[in-house]
Amino acid sequence: MILGRVIGEVWATRRDARLQRSKLLVVRPHALYEPAFGGLGGRHLVATDDVHAGVGDVVIVCLGAPARWSVGGNDTPVDAAVLGVVDHLDFEAARMSAPGAGPGISRPLSVALPGGAAR
Amino acid sequence: MIRGTVVGQVWATRKARGLDGQTLLLVAAQDAEGRPSGRLVVAVDVLDARAGEDVTVAFGSGARNVLRPGPDNRDLLCDAAVAAIVEGAG
Repeated sequence: MILGRVIGEVWATRRDARLQRSKLLVVRPHALYEPAFGGLGGRHLVATDDVHAGVGDVVIVCLGAPARWSVGGNDTPVDAAVLGVVDHLDFEAARMSAPGAGPGISRPLSVALPGGAAR
Repeated sequence: MIRGTVVGQVWATRKARGLDGQTLLLVAAQDAEGRPSGRLVVAVDVLDARAGEDVTVAFGSGARNVLRPGPDNRDLLCDAAVAAIVEGAG
């Protein structure tokens, strides 16, 4: 799973019959989470949502086949689903700030504060 | 599966069905040399891994088998789970 922030919603009247019940959210993954298909359309993805997340929420997104099953079965046209809305996040800085670890602690924390200004 | 180090925990009250009460860990992925690769994943944990411990994380459909093994686990929304806590590697 990956963490991201909900930045919008998609409305679609004409959609696959198996998607009729699901809300579609636009999620921007945090910089440290790179879904396999992230390079295709920039740094955001569209995910189905059955847990009633809203714009600005930090969410956990499940990718791949498990996301398909969440909306009814393996034959559904889905590859990302919101699994939950993050209330709180504990992050141990030192583990990520070792030499060669890439981006440091400040960015993971900034994305994970629900309702915070940082994105 | 990948190797990684547990670096934190995520709390989410509103979750998909079947994940109630499950622990969600933040795991920093390691590269081939065992160094942090700079990427993070969120993984379900039923092995009680602690921050700082090295773990292996299973991805994809197989991750659901950690929560409920067998063919009837397809309703579980989970694509990453801690499969083992690493004590040593050569």
